[in-house]
Amino acid sequence: MASIRFDKVGKRYANGFVAIENLDLEIRDREFLVLLGPSGCGKSTTLNMIAGLEEVTSGKLCFGDQLVNDIPPDRRDVAMVFQSYALYPHKTVYENIAFGLRMRRTPQAEVDARVRSAAQKLAITHLLDRRPSQLSGGQRQRVALGRAMVRRPAVFLMDEPLSNLDAALRISMRAEIKQLHEEMQTTFVYVTHDQAEALTLADRIVVMNDGAIEQIGTPHDIYEKPATIFVASFLGAPPINTLDGEIGGASGRPVFRCGDVALALPPAIAAPTGSKATLGLRAEDVTLDPKAQDDVAIDGVVNSILPIGSDQFIGMKVAGREFFFRLAKDQACAIGDRVRLAALTNRLHVFDAASGRSLAGG
Amino acid sequence: MTQAAVLARRRERLPFSHDERRAWLFLAPVATTLLVVAVFPIVYSLYISFWSIKLTRPHRQPFVGLDNYAQLLADPEFWHAVGRTTSFTVMAVTAICVIGLAVALLLNETFPGRKALQALLLVPWAIPYVANGLMWKWIYDSSYGALNGLLFQLDFIDKYMVWLGDANKTLPLIANAFVWKEVPLAALLLLVTLKSIPADLYAAARVDGAGALQRFLHVTLPALRPGFMLVIIYETMTAIRHFDLFFILTEGGPGDASHVLSWRIYVETFRNLSFGTGAAMSYILAIVTFALAYGVIRALGRNVR
Repeated sequence: MASIRFDKVGKRYANGFVAIENLDLEIRDREFLVLLGPSGCGKSTTLNMIAGLEEVTSGKLCFGDQLVNDIPPDRRDVAMVFQSYALYPHKTVYENIAFGLRMRRTPQAEVDARVRSAAQKLAITHLLDRRPSQLSGGQRQRVALGRAMVRRPAVFLMDEPLSNLDAALRISMRAEIKQLHEEMQTTFVYVTHDQAEALTLADRIVVMNDGAIEQIGTPHDIYEKPATIFVASFLGAPPINTLDGEIGGASGRPVFRCGDVALALPPAIAAPTGSKATLGLRAEDVTLDPKAQDDVAIDGVVNSILPIGSDQFIGMKVAGREFFFRLAKDQACAIGDRVRLAALTNRLHVFDAASGRSLAGG
Repeated sequence: MTQAAVLARRRERLPFSHDERRAWLFLAPVATTLLVVAVFPIVYSLYISFWSIKLTRPHRQPFVGLDNYAQLLADPEFWHAVGRTTSFTVMAVTAICVIGLAVALLLNETFPGRKALQALLLVPWAIPYVANGLMWKWIYDSSYGALNGLLFQLDFIDKYMVWLGDANKTLPLIANAFVWKEVPLAALLLLVTLKSIPADLYAAARVDGAGALQRFLHVTLPALRPGFMLVIIYETMTAIRHFDLFFILTEGGPGDASHVLSWRIYVETFRNLSFGTGAAMSYILAIVTFALAYGVIRALGRNVR
């Protein structure tokens, strides 16, 4: 049983700094949960509390039904992969992987079998006699994974494990970590500030900001139905385009207005006419359409074009703000062109201007 | 041929380029000083170690080749001095390492007053050896020394002792004064090494199930290896050549109880005025120092990258 429950958990440091406040979170058994957020949002602190490396200062942290607030890391049945890999520099790869087992007085024959099997799975058998300093970043990462794997822990914790790798390696390691989760059939908690990593790996994502949870949901939910303006802005590249304006109403259908922009909103938007709101429009949620109806149209003059191979980003000023849109590369336009784009109105996001919470009903 | 071409040609003939010549110009003062105060004495003392130079008979100074060395190596007194130097060095360096490590571990923790303690730690290091020697001479004094006073009041002794008059205690007591002065440097070097150990390593070891002792053995100690290497080499070299405290505290006495190599070199050279033998002994000490340093670097460096 490796479900983890945070019940009003708080973390306050001796100097008075509050890293986490009133955290409620249930991590399901065998789930791949990603804690996502900017640096300093409390995601690593949350992970360290699960590991037992940071003390819980208020609330309850339970593994299954067991309260673990005061249980030291070595008795929690967790393994952890660190951003810095944290390999023991003076030990060989073999001894690094074996260390956790040795500390638990595992018989030598079993240590050897487990180390070799993990090494084989990670394709590092030929490196077992080397020292960490003789390995590349990717190889060190594998050793760190191996060290966690051989323990067969109930909970596998990873703190930005891929952020020190180069881009190509990061993508291939992502796939391996995903596969590892499938094979190990155990709970994974993964900390990252990289949205792409979160979206590809997670069963569920917890988006954190300022020591609190902004939204918990599947990658699809988080991306498609952001609960707050923070979540909407944090995910997506380029970042979501935003515009501050107000809700108007014409013939019963809500309309978002800002300057000469007036966009019809989905009927489900629940906000009184005249309330201040922030519109969120993702770069890819438009098409180039000269004949678009006025209530879905965004007009502007193209001021930059950034081809990215398969597609192109075009930049233009909309109601005084710089917007970026993603268009297929065959949708020809040039800098200086006056274009009309049609927004996919059912994909517009509208947030309360004051609270930043989504106004989408339901 | 134009004037420029002539100049260029002349420049080519010079052994150094313009930049190199300028560099030499700037280096010259330092290089000259070093030549006069370091290189010349080293070479000259090697030279005189092959001659029988005694200022007591300044007109007869024959070349004797390696005789000075041969005589020394055959002299039991010389070997006794080597023995005393070795035991002084082993005592001192061991104590410096152990106490230095303890102090470094203490200062690596966070506690109120740590900064003040750290500043206080530097005091012995800042005191010159002569002042340090005089201070310990007072402490060890047989009539009004603090050591006697303390031990007497605590009932460890029933009468004041002549500490430095006891041949068996002389070396440990001088080593103690030496350790007191050298521990700060050792502690500082080890503390810097301790501070460089990534916190993640301790976190990883905790998650791996290592207790405090195991974390010390598997993370801290191996990481301290380079720090220890520095401390051991430096302190061995310092201890093996140390002279000041022997001069101030005992002048080699009682009897020959603190006749270490450096003391014998001094006596041979400046009291017996036998410069050839003194220089030969100095050279033997220098070679041993180099050999030791090399050995320690090899031994400790094997696993350090």
